[in-house]
Amino acid sequence: MIGHGTTGMLGEDGIHVDMNHLKSGEVKNLDVSERRLFGLLSHSQQPLTSTSMAINFKDGVILGADSRTTTGAYIANRVTDKLTQVHDTIWCCRSGSAADTQAVADIVSYHLNMYGVTNNESPTTQVAASLFQELCYENKNQLSAGIIIAGYDPRHGGQVYSIPLGGSLHKQSFAIGGSGSTYIYGYTDAHWRENMTEQEGIDFVRSALQEAIKWDGSSGGVIRLVVLTKRGAVRHLYLPDNGYTGPGATN
Amino acid sequence: MPGFDFSNYNRNAALHARGVPLPKATSTGTTIVGCIYDNGVVIAADTRATSGPIVADKNCEKLHYISPKIWCAGAGTAADTEFTTALISSNVELHSLSTGRDPRVITCMTMLKQHLFRYQGHIGAYLVVAGADPTGVSLFTVHAHGSTDKLPYVTMGSGSLAAMSVFETMWRPNLDREGAVALCSEAIKAGIFNDLGSGSNVDVCVISKDKPTELLRNYMRPNERGHKERNYRFPKGTTAWLNQKIISKEDMKNYVTIENLSGSDELATGEKMEVDS
Amino acid sequence: MTSIGTGYDLSNSVFSPDGRNFQVEYAVKAVENGGTAIGIRCKGGVVLAVEKIITSKLLKPGANKRIATVDRHVGIVSSGLVPDGRHFVSRARDEASSWRGTYKGPIPISALANRLGGYVQAYTLYSSVRPFGVTSIVGGWDSEAELAVDGQVGTGPKSGAGGKVEGAKVGGPGLFMIEPSGLYWGYYGAATGKGRQAAKAELEKLDLSAEKLSLHDGVKEAARIIYVAHEDSKDKEFELEMTWISSLDGPTQGRHEEVPRELLDEAEKAARRALEGDDEEDEGARGSGEQMEE
Repeated sequence: MIGHGTTGMLGEDGIHVDMNHLKSGEVKNLDVSERRLFGLLSHSQQPLTSTSMAINFKDGVILGADSRTTTGAYIANRVTDKLTQVHDTIWCCRSGSAADTQAVADIVSYHLNMYGVTNNESPTTQVAASLFQELCYENKNQLSAGIIIAGYDPRHGGQVYSIPLGGSLHKQSFAIGGSGSTYIYGYTDAHWRENMTEQEGIDFVRSALQEAIKWDGSSGGVIRLVVLTKRGAVRHLYLPDNGYTGPGATN
Repeated sequence: MPGFDFSNYNRNAALHARGVPLPKATSTGTTIVGCIYDNGVVIAADTRATSGPIVADKNCEKLHYISPKIWCAGAGTAADTEFTTALISSNVELHSLSTGRDPRVITCMTMLKQHLFRYQGHIGAYLVVAGADPTGVSLFTVHAHGSTDKLPYVTMGSGSLAAMSVFETMWRPNLDREGAVALCSEAIKAGIFNDLGSGSNVDVCVISKDKPTELLRNYMRPNERGHKERNYRFPKGTTAWLNQKIISKEDMKNYVTIENLSGSDELATGEKMEVDS
Repeated sequence: MTSIGTGYDLSNSVFSPDGRNFQVEYAVKAVENGGTAIGIRCKGGVVLAVEKIITSKLLKPGANKRIATVDRHVGIVSSGLVPDGRHFVSRARDEASSWRGTYKGPIPISALANRLGGYVQAYTLYSSVRPFGVTSIVGGWDSEAELAVDGQVGTGPKSGAGGKVEGAKVGGPGLFMIEPSGLYWGYYGAATGKGRQAAKAELEKLDLSAEKLSLHDGVKEAARIIYVAHEDSKDKEFELEMTWISSLDGPTQGRHEEVPRELLDEAEKAARRALEGDDEEDEGARGSGEQMEE
């Protein structure tokens, strides 16, 4: 920062003196405007800048998300992977503070793995949802995290849970979240059908996210999907280069 | 009239005193980058450290050692990048000793992110973590709040926008060592020349799978101070004066009290210290 | 007792040269004097029963329960030092509650047994404590239904559950017995206390591993077995306490409850009749001399 801050006083000689500024002579490679750029100053006021969703379909669940990570007006990562695996067939969509949601997902992942080995059976989606909710609710004042959990297990089939900002837990047929979701409430409501086939489900999620990306400035980049069925997890990728039509499944 | 003109300064100060906010000055800071190539990873940094508007160090080191094949480039609060990387370096070495294995980049990245998350952004360290380990070559960014990204090329700091524009136009897959070093130093130069907070020289660190790490300190010095063509020293007598008065030592007594000290060892008066014997 | 006088039995957590922990073995002795307790794992639930020796005519009949509910779906019966049993139950309740706190659902019986086993085992490791003077039988029912997450908003959508594997068997009865050493196993039928040998012999005859015994028959058998096991200490009066946990479509709907008065009376009546009948049959068999039984 050059010159003066907005504080200080004029001396008798008309020379501006700002003691606070003089005292804060800490050696930094970063100043206030840059700290704001990195989201350091308005951390908890950030909207959940992204679009993510998860749906139930005939054989399981599908998760989808855009790939934009922003720090203020700057896109820090244009190919982010917001679909995070927390167990074999339990995944989540992260939206909100990247640091907070990564930390929460890491902790849940640890607990689910411990559950798996101590109880000799894989945790259910309910267990994962419980753990996420506990963390999000108990630390609601420190976190800005909107998380959608989707999982498949043979006993319950596919399930979708949503944990919005306050830490409440909602079981849903499909869930949408993040800043871009406001633009697709109408679209998803109008086009949602129960018991869609896998291809219908993929098309539904892909076109809903495409619409959200079109209208929401905080969402963008590529579309990533994960399809969870009894056959396990399959990732899909859809690029803006070809109007989000391909390449499709990547594993 | 010779001398400096303070009229603009006085105008600004007067406006400020009346409550007119001053225009925001643009950022100071750093440019750091990293880029993966076919057999390793390159990270690079500028060498300017700033303290407010002042350049505090024209040739500082922003590439930090973690382990022989894991290095960090740091932006943000200089003290925080310095101490955070030193702490994690120490813990990584202890971990390596206790497991009997070479340290992994992902381990280092996880330790950094958990440490930084715990401090909720109050530790202002923005880091590029790069290295080679038994699992391959990795490149991450870690932000002060504890979020991480994994990408083939990364930039951070106030010069990150300038540097990223270089990567986004010139990066291509399957770079070789020379290509990656050239690209990284080009990106740092974009920061040095286009970002107020970045400047001076380019430091580069090349980490490869099968060769010892090379720290190329001041790989480029694009801001060498050139020899001045002329001498700007003013000859004696340049400044004109109206009158002159010479005061001798004798006359000095008229203005101040002069006391001559004796040459003895009683320079300072006070009680002698008693010592037990 | 070869341990006496060697000094290796004076402190907990100390091994004897041949690898035994005498304090734990003494704790087992305390259990061997306790009233007989049994558990039966039936097709549609679990039955727990205990023989309560009447130590005083002044004790109110039907009060002073010895089988405790740990969570809605779990019960515990112990044999040995009663206060130790109470403390053990208290710990079990804490574990079940802690599980609910974390996972927002009922604790599986196996997980509870595992945690309790670990807890009891810890009391064999330190010289500042003594081992538990009880062997406990943990019985319960793991819900076969799909459970909602405790505290979730609403009941959830009707749709979803895509790709569910129909007919996969989940939930069911659980029966575990935890010994003073911390050792625990899962059982079809478990017995501990003074009359355990007789009780075990009777349990083995039931062919429980076929998983065909109905819960009602299980109640009758449990009562009978307690009566049989009491035969060796006939001089003392006793009271029978019995609880059960059925499947969701059974009489207790997955909950741990006392066996209803009428059914308990009926079972006790049948038990007494069976004992008397045994005597008659024995006499009859002797009279006819048709065959020898082993």
